Amino acid sequence: MNRETIKFYLLLLPSLAIFLLFVFWPFAYSVYLSFFDWNMISPEKKFVGLQNYIDIIKDPISYKVLVNTFIYIGVLLLMNCIIPYIFAFVIDVVLKRFKNFYKTALFLPAVISLVVGSILFTWLLNPVSGPVAIILGWFDVSMPMWTKTDGWVIVILCLITSWKVFGYNFIVLYAAINGVDRELIEAARLDRVPARKIFMKIILPLSSATGIYVLIITVVQGLQYMFTPIKIITQGGPNYASSNAIYHAFHEAFVLYRTGHSAALSILTMLIFFVLLLLEFKFVEKGVYYEN
Amino acid sequence: MKRFISLMLVLLLGLLAACSSDSDEVKGKGKGKTKIEYWHVNAETLGGKTVEELVKRFNEQSDTVEVVAKFNPDMYKGLMQNLQAEAASGKAPALVQVGWSFKEYFNENFAHTSPQDIIDKHFPDDKTFFKDNFLPNVLELAQTKDGKQIGIPYSLSSPVLYINRDLLKQAGLDENGPKTWEELKTFAKTIKDKTGKYGFYMQEPADNWATQALLESNGARMLTDGKATFASKEGIAAYELYADMITKDKSALHIGWDQGIQSFIDGNVAMAYTTIAQRSNIQDNSKFNVAAVNSPVFEGKPVRLPAGGSMLAITAKEEDQQKAAWEFMKYLYSVESVAEWTKGTGYVPPREGVADAEEGLKQYLAENEMMKAATSQMDGVVPWVSFPGKQGLQAEQLMLDVRDQILNGSVSVEEGLKKTEEEINKLLK
Repeated sequence: MNRETIKFYLLLLPSLAIFLLFVFWPFAYSVYLSFFDWNMISPEKKFVGLQNYIDIIKDPISYKVLVNTFIYIGVLLLMNCIIPYIFAFVIDVVLKRFKNFYKTALFLPAVISLVVGSILFTWLLNPVSGPVAIILGWFDVSMPMWTKTDGWVIVILCLITSWKVFGYNFIVLYAAINGVDRELIEAARLDRVPARKIFMKIILPLSSATGIYVLIITVVQGLQYMFTPIKIITQGGPNYASSNAIYHAFHEAFVLYRTGHSAALSILTMLIFFVLLLLEFKFVEKGVYYEN
Repeated sequence: MKRFISLMLVLLLGLLAACSSDSDEVKGKGKGKTKIEYWHVNAETLGGKTVEELVKRFNEQSDTVEVVAKFNPDMYKGLMQNLQAEAASGKAPALVQVGWSFKEYFNENFAHTSPQDIIDKHFPDDKTFFKDNFLPNVLELAQTKDGKQIGIPYSLSSPVLYINRDLLKQAGLDENGPKTWEELKTFAKTIKDKTGKYGFYMQEPADNWATQALLESNGARMLTDGKATFASKEGIAAYELYADMITKDKSALHIGWDQGIQSFIDGNVAMAYTTIAQRSNIQDNSKFNVAAVNSPVFEGKPVRLPAGGSMLAITAKEEDQQKAAWEFMKYLYSVESVAEWTKGTGYVPPREGVADAEEGLKQYLAENEMMKAATSQMDGVVPWVSFPGKQGLQAEQLMLDVRDQILNGSVSVEEGLKKTEEEINKLLK
């Protein structure tokens, strides 16, 4: 190792230290905790081997939560990846005026806290007396009691989260699309290629490096963002219909104080995400275009 | 990088500040006064200012004791965790607030002294202080299952029925509200039929507080000799009365707590069953003629209303600390202090002689009619049942799960309660 490389490693050190302290150490500790029965307050931890993992596999709630997790991923991908992609394309390439207005307007909610957003939407979307319900009432449409209805509850909670996430994803994708060579688009336009085709054949492949980033961020970060509205509005209910793997791990640890169970669930969740990432690398990454 | 550095600096400063505030609270004798710590959970919005005010006044009038109030974030659970850490290092505060759900846990895991023992030893004049000033059923709240008095109730709340008099009048009903649950059901139906608005909402937070009030008031018991027994004939009947309002009559609302209370305040629900702690929120925000009345009863049966809140327990180890703790505790339970506490928090006075005393709450209650609904039903207050043992919280959760299933109509009351009771008893074994 020569001097130069040592210098580089030294430069890496601060971020590595932070990573070790806040990511790897908690991860290792979670693995450790997943073999114990502990209530987080008591001074003793009881070693139980793989019992926590066995409990999770036997528990029907785990499967409900797992299915919910995938529904969340599906809805989040639609709301926070596909739709912002299309919006970014339309605003950058198709629209001629008011571009800056749209950019600002769509990005603005991203700076507001999700806690505030959740409380705001609880009020706005109150199915009995909220403003949305009142307006729908004029057309004789009644709102479902979404906080207590399976299915609806996930969709609405995703909507609240996307209010926050949408803007950031949109801006990132917009920048990527903006970076696509204008000559290509102009040439396609001269040949009267329809906008849909420009998007599919030119924009999508050329911005795919950013696209894949947003895709992963949507899934990984989106599920974590979901935590806030779930915690504030439904606490995972009704009967776990709005819980997902991440919220459920929190619920087990900080509501029921089953720390070991929760740690085991987190580890299993991580494994599932790991497999998803592997699949992504194997099948999606190949088609991605990197400029450099 | 610059931002990162400034962020780290802020964090560092925060840490430093936390350390220095800790070292301020040195225990032991300083300047001749015995210094004790009082641990509470009352954040600024939850009566924290009253805590500080009471401590300040006590310190001014006492020549022997100096109290330092220490706020514990994250409510009673947070306080328990901090107490654990403190105990691990061999120390303990003098006086702590213990939430009802942690009562048994506290008793089994922490060294504490019954206030009565300290009184018997050092303060013969106060021997009958508790007997004279507290209702026996209120004192019972702070007893363990084997009848040991480990603390004294301090923050108390009970469920009451809030009514929208305008809506009741509009539906041609008695504007003083229903007296019984049976009556409440027909009231709700009439309101739905006559006005199109919802008749009733019962709070649905993540606990079984209101459920217990409903079932036990009909003669059921959540727990008998350490076994769940809520799926008795009476329990099922009571739950059915409530569930039918939602699933059959469609006269009651099944919705989250915030949205439910909000709908009541907006005038879309005529009656709401929730804690007296919601009083100021409801009183300040509703634009109609609002009132609070006693919790409804079942025809011919006594009410049993679980108490919310916490008790005060003495964890001081040394004698002088224990003595000081009682002196401060006695001050907190004086009529004036309790009155102050009620005004600052919305809790019900735990002791007697406050409601009608001139220096107590006489004038306050005259101005805040709604508070009377809770102060006048104190004789019906019972301990809030927490399922025993390590699996208790899981049992609690099963009760919540079945509530969602029943109110969604996916399972019948009888089937749901019986199945849950069985599962809980399997857990508690």
